[in-house]
Amino acid sequence: MKFTIDWLRQYVDFDFTPQQLSDQLTMAGLEVDAVDELYRDLEVIKVAEIIDTHPHPNADKLVLCDVMVGDEEKRIVCGAPNARKGLLTAVALPGTVMPGGFKIKKSKIRGEVSLGMLCSAKELGVSEESSGIMELNEFNAKSGQSLLEAMGLQDILVEVDLTPNRPDCASVIGTAREVAAMASTPLKLPVDEGSLPTLSGSIAFSVDVVNPEFCPRYVARRMTGIKVGPSPWWLQKRLLSVDLRPINNVVDATNFIMLEYGQPLHAFDFTTLADSKIIVRTAVDGEKFTTLDGQERTLDASMLMICDGKSPVAVAGVMGGANSEVTADSTELLLESACFDAISVRRTSRNLKLSTDASYRFERGVDPQLAPVAMARLVSLLEEIASGTVDDDGVDALVAPIVPLDLALRVSRTNSLLGTTFSADQITDFMTAIGMEVSLADDDTLTVTVPTFRVDIVREVDLIEEVARIFGYNEISTSLPVVPMSFAEQDSGRALRKEATALLTSLGCYQAINYSFVSPEHADQLGLPADDEGRNTVSLLNPLTEEQSVMRRSLLPGLLENVRRNINFQSSSVRLFEIGKVFEPVADNVQPNEENHLCVVLSGLRYGTAPELHFEQSAVDLFDIKGVGQSLLSGLRLSQIVFSDNSSVAPYVDGAETLALAVGDETIGCIAKVGKECLQKFSIKQDVYFLDINFDRITALQQASKKFVPLPKFPAVQRDIAILVPESCPASDLVEAIATKKEKLLEHVSLFDVYQGKNIKEGFKSVAISVTYRAQDKTLADKAVTKVHQRMIDLLLKKFDGHLREM
Amino acid sequence: MQDALLRLQQEADTDLAAISNADQLESFRVKYFGRKGPFTQLMRQLGAAPKEDRPKLGKMANELKLALQGRFDEKKVDLVGSLAAAGPQLDLSLPGRQVPQGKLHPVTQIMEEICAIFEGLGFSVAEGPDIETDFYNFEALNIPAHHPARDMHDTFYVDDSTLLRTHTSPMQARVMETAEPPLKVIAPGKVYRCDSDITHTPMFHQVEGFLVDKNVSFADLKGVLRVFIAKMFDESTAIRFRPSYFPFTEPSAEVDIACVMCGGKGCRVCKKTGWLEILGAGMIDPEVFKKVNYDPEVYSGFAFGLGVERIAMLKYGINDIRLYYENDLRFLRQF
Repeated sequence: MKFTIDWLRQYVDFDFTPQQLSDQLTMAGLEVDAVDELYRDLEVIKVAEIIDTHPHPNADKLVLCDVMVGDEEKRIVCGAPNARKGLLTAVALPGTVMPGGFKIKKSKIRGEVSLGMLCSAKELGVSEESSGIMELNEFNAKSGQSLLEAMGLQDILVEVDLTPNRPDCASVIGTAREVAAMASTPLKLPVDEGSLPTLSGSIAFSVDVVNPEFCPRYVARRMTGIKVGPSPWWLQKRLLSVDLRPINNVVDATNFIMLEYGQPLHAFDFTTLADSKIIVRTAVDGEKFTTLDGQERTLDASMLMICDGKSPVAVAGVMGGANSEVTADSTELLLESACFDAISVRRTSRNLKLSTDASYRFERGVDPQLAPVAMARLVSLLEEIASGTVDDDGVDALVAPIVPLDLALRVSRTNSLLGTTFSADQITDFMTAIGMEVSLADDDTLTVTVPTFRVDIVREVDLIEEVARIFGYNEISTSLPVVPMSFAEQDSGRALRKEATALLTSLGCYQAINYSFVSPEHADQLGLPADDEGRNTVSLLNPLTEEQSVMRRSLLPGLLENVRRNINFQSSSVRLFEIGKVFEPVADNVQPNEENHLCVVLSGLRYGTAPELHFEQSAVDLFDIKGVGQSLLSGLRLSQIVFSDNSSVAPYVDGAETLALAVGDETIGCIAKVGKECLQKFSIKQDVYFLDINFDRITALQQASKKFVPLPKFPAVQRDIAILVPESCPASDLVEAIATKKEKLLEHVSLFDVYQGKNIKEGFKSVAISVTYRAQDKTLADKAVTKVHQRMIDLLLKKFDGHLREM
Repeated sequence: MQDALLRLQQEADTDLAAISNADQLESFRVKYFGRKGPFTQLMRQLGAAPKEDRPKLGKMANELKLALQGRFDEKKVDLVGSLAAAGPQLDLSLPGRQVPQGKLHPVTQIMEEICAIFEGLGFSVAEGPDIETDFYNFEALNIPAHHPARDMHDTFYVDDSTLLRTHTSPMQARVMETAEPPLKVIAPGKVYRCDSDITHTPMFHQVEGFLVDKNVSFADLKGVLRVFIAKMFDESTAIRFRPSYFPFTEPSAEVDIACVMCGGKGCRVCKKTGWLEILGAGMIDPEVFKKVNYDPEVYSGFAFGLGVERIAMLKYGINDIRLYYENDLRFLRQF
């Protein structure tokens, strides 16, 4: 909603500076978005008088003008057809920067010196008029005067970001009403609402409202003798100041009054209305109609139309039709000032994808009392600027009498909701300041009569908001709620997520957040087969782009894109993780299944940007990602999750380097090297390893409790075993074999080296294992250890078909 | 022999006392403790001494050497600060051995900071679905179909009745329909609007908060938000509450803080107003209570919602919202 300060002053007197006004409006709930001086770049444009003209010696279409700018005479070359002696016009002197950024210089045009430029209204951005240089004689301008002053253009534009509940302020008068309440000055209205004509319907046309539920009021009058032409400057100026293009006096008048009062108006060319009839009815499904903008539109049965005796002539409350448009030749008008149902207009506007200044206002609610007022204003304005004559009578089709709403407002309720201690008198004052009528119903209750223009106030709580607003939100004291103490519960997954993110950052991983919607091409990039379940996605009906059109099924593609981006920006060592939702459609369910997943990607050097000085750098491998997984699971105390053979290798995974993460028989994730083809599809030229796990599944698991074990009192003895076993034998099986052997003295067993190559028989590998023995009650004797240790060696040799290797 | 030892001791003590730098220290070491040093020679001469004197002399020589070694070490400590430093010089200006660490995304950091403040005030944390029904996202919040307020939400639809939640406010209805007051809840999460430019991303994060009980007032809302802003920004941060409109609160308020960039003098960030809008709030509308079968005559409550990215931008000075979701390490390392 835009208005100018000068325009506002037409209806209310106030002493506020523009800044004060802006602050006051903002604090009253009419948030001011911008306060801008209009036409600021025109300050340097002056009025010039052409005192003589001479033909240009070298160009037929150019004229040499001798102009006076104040007392300075200048020679300026001009090509406008209306450049003539005696004309007052606008001049941009050398040095002036034009609205488009072009700088005027002293120049030679076809050999003749020109000391500036005579300007058209379009060149100055004042209007669209470009057929000649500006004509300023009728403004009583003086040569040398600033153009802004001469044309009365100096003004300040205020832009309000209007909330949907305040359609009453979608007009200059509505805003003035708020300002009047702030300044405690009366409102000056152009129409005396007390002496509106009574319209009884004895007229030369008929109005039939077939669907009154969508049209509570329809006021129509006919005007004859209209002379369509350009609007007077004052009217054009108002429209231009709020970026509305003047068209002709009739259309401009309806637009102006809509901005002034907030009542959308429409003028039909009366002679085009078949049978001199207006029928307000819903459309027929599939009916075609061409609106004023030249677009043919297909109607449906929910749309309310204004029709003549034969066919539609306007989409009610949205836009008029091309068939009944006022043209330069129109002399008879049918003027419409109506009230249409908000929901009906909104639905129509949505379905037609057509939003106009009129539909904006009707959707939010227009005061039904306004229709006859705006009609009176329109009639008088058209009498003045289009020499029209109005018929004595007209139509005011009102479905039901308009009765202002009476609401009960309890003082106690007001105070308890706001935390205030207002008296009934104070509340009464606040209410009357904004046009409410108040009477006392009982000790605690006021009866408040709501003026019809406040369509947003229908309940007691709406009045309570007005009390707070008028008193000032900032003035209300602050307190802290007194609520019984209770334990603050957390969503169960949240605590574990926080633990996991802390662990992962300590493992050198940065947290990423990617969009939940992704490109459907991810499925192809991952190489998923055509019938893969992972291609079943939740799709958006109205995505912004194809790249963000389906809800993700996996976090991996997003992270791979992040890896590529970072490599492209010279951060080739990447450790990223994301914990976020993936979305799986569920048949027969409105909402899909949303599950949190955790995905980690590692690529590039193991220690990233850490200096070679201290860290032996090499590229990450599978054991880096496995290590991340193990650190994470042990940090989360989730020993029930184990690494196992990956029996369902995804197409984007390198089958030789992957393990499943499993709980019992259930696979809940995996670690893997990303397959070559997939990397190619993501344009990544270095190895990437990832871990992916269903985080919600983890959340459901029991974290191991922390339990104290007394510290040992006696020393431990450590013995090593080096054993040659067949290459195919997993080293961890050897460790496992010892660990699960119920040997009382055994405390710990770990793998410390695996070696293949020189000095080792082909097809074999050397596995070195360290075993720790300890007795709880004594220092172990060498002999006792040797005995047990030999049993362990024998066990391994037998079970794994191994040979001892010389240590 | 005994005399020779005593002379050696005197001579060594004199030499030791004269040492003033590392070079002299080294030549002393070579002179007295080297392979060709006096002790080695004396020990060789031990064989020439009478057999019965040998143990006594040997012991004396050893004690002398040990004592000298001790005094030498003391001198060395005095001179270079530590024994070890006498070896190859350590360049202490080298960086420490930092095991690489990652960081949380700035949005998570701010979100956790916000949650921690409200958790400190006793608010529970609840989470809900990103893909919502029209009912919870709109209807339950007093935004029926064809309500103009739907224009304030550029909604991504999955189908006619399913959408990506446009705010975290649906959690008000979801929590209230399963629990009885008193309620103190915050609901952090992702929200979606089909809007994308330098100040809008189609996905962003919000934290919704609400408190419902008997006799909860607008003054309480102001009090709680004042505490939040003091903790989130600065105790002295100026705040203003101004009327606004949300269909699910009445009265509704927009909360501004004094511009953190210019301190309220007016700058580009605050569009010369000196104020920055940081959250929307209000008293929960009776219609919302009715939808979850709470009696609005008995219960009242407030709700608020804040944008995490915006607060992160203000606190960290981030000027382009799109950076949040590019996951560029050069960006992530900064926070």
